[in-house]
Amino acid sequence: MRGVTKAIILIIVGLVVLIPFASTFPDGLEKVVESLGVEEPDSMWSGIMPDYTFPFTTNPYLTKLISGLIGLFLAFSIPWAVGRVTTCKHSVKK
Amino acid sequence: MHIPDGFLDPYLSVLMYIIALVFLTWAWRGVKKTFPRSFVSVMAVSSAFVFVGQMLNFPIVYGTSGHLVGGTFLALLLGPHAAVISMSIVILIQAVFFADGGISTFGANIFNLAVIGGLSFYAVKLLSNPSSSQKRLSASVFVASWLSVVLGALAAAIQIGVSSMFASVGGVLVTVPAMLFWHVIIGACEAAITTSLTSQFLRVKPTMLNGLAILRGVAYERRY
Repeated sequence: MRGVTKAIILIIVGLVVLIPFASTFPDGLEKVVESLGVEEPDSMWSGIMPDYTFPFTTNPYLTKLISGLIGLFLAFSIPWAVGRVTTCKHSVKK
Repeated sequence: MHIPDGFLDPYLSVLMYIIALVFLTWAWRGVKKTFPRSFVSVMAVSSAFVFVGQMLNFPIVYGTSGHLVGGTFLALLLGPHAAVISMSIVILIQAVFFADGGISTFGANIFNLAVIGGLSFYAVKLLSNPSSSQKRLSASVFVASWLSVVLGALAAAIQIGVSSMFASVGGVLVTVPAMLFWHVIIGACEAAITTSLTSQFLRVKPTMLNGLAILRGVAYERRY
């Protein structure tokens, strides 16, 4: 368990430190679409926090950080739950 | 590299959903059969890591950026089956909560990122053998992770290229070279990150690399 806490803290520190340095340039696919002049169609679902923004803050750093932390929590807990359901019970516990 | 809604023709979206479902069933069965419960925490932490890695883009050249996909890294940590499941969950979270990648293109994104990423495990297996030196293993990891990004981009390029939205700009003949151009570079960054992460793990905590244990033919139960 201690290892898990340590790893999560490291990931959060990485997120906090690296957000200001993250590039806002279009990624490979977006660049191709842009350069070909194809219009991106209206999305049928715009998500709850579209493009990693948190609705209640306009600060560009905070909005990314909060949505990132929520995403991190989801990306941790859902695989945990799925893992518990899928794995075999007879395996050796730590 | 996440394909947004609307880029793929409906028949292709359905086809990719079916293909993704086949691989997810394969992965689910594999996890159920062999994945040890003690490794669930590693699966959760590494999924969180991949989520953050995919959120933070790094600039490459000419005003373009890329981000870590992390498929090969997940496969080395968790083995191919759990890597596919874990990455698929991350893609689902991105699509539902952050509108990063579409809902209708979910199947295609699972195939391009999760399945190809997870299967890059077998590229490492092919390129190295259980007794390989660390150098050879690192080189295999480098090539496999580069391939996972380039092949994922190739698949995405073909999918959008055959769709009607891209027919007017030249279809596959245009999308494939354009996508490959960027992703050959992005893949090199992915490979550098994956290789350095893997070698750090090998140095500090080799027991974490469950995928590598499978690669070397060490049984789960005996190790944990």
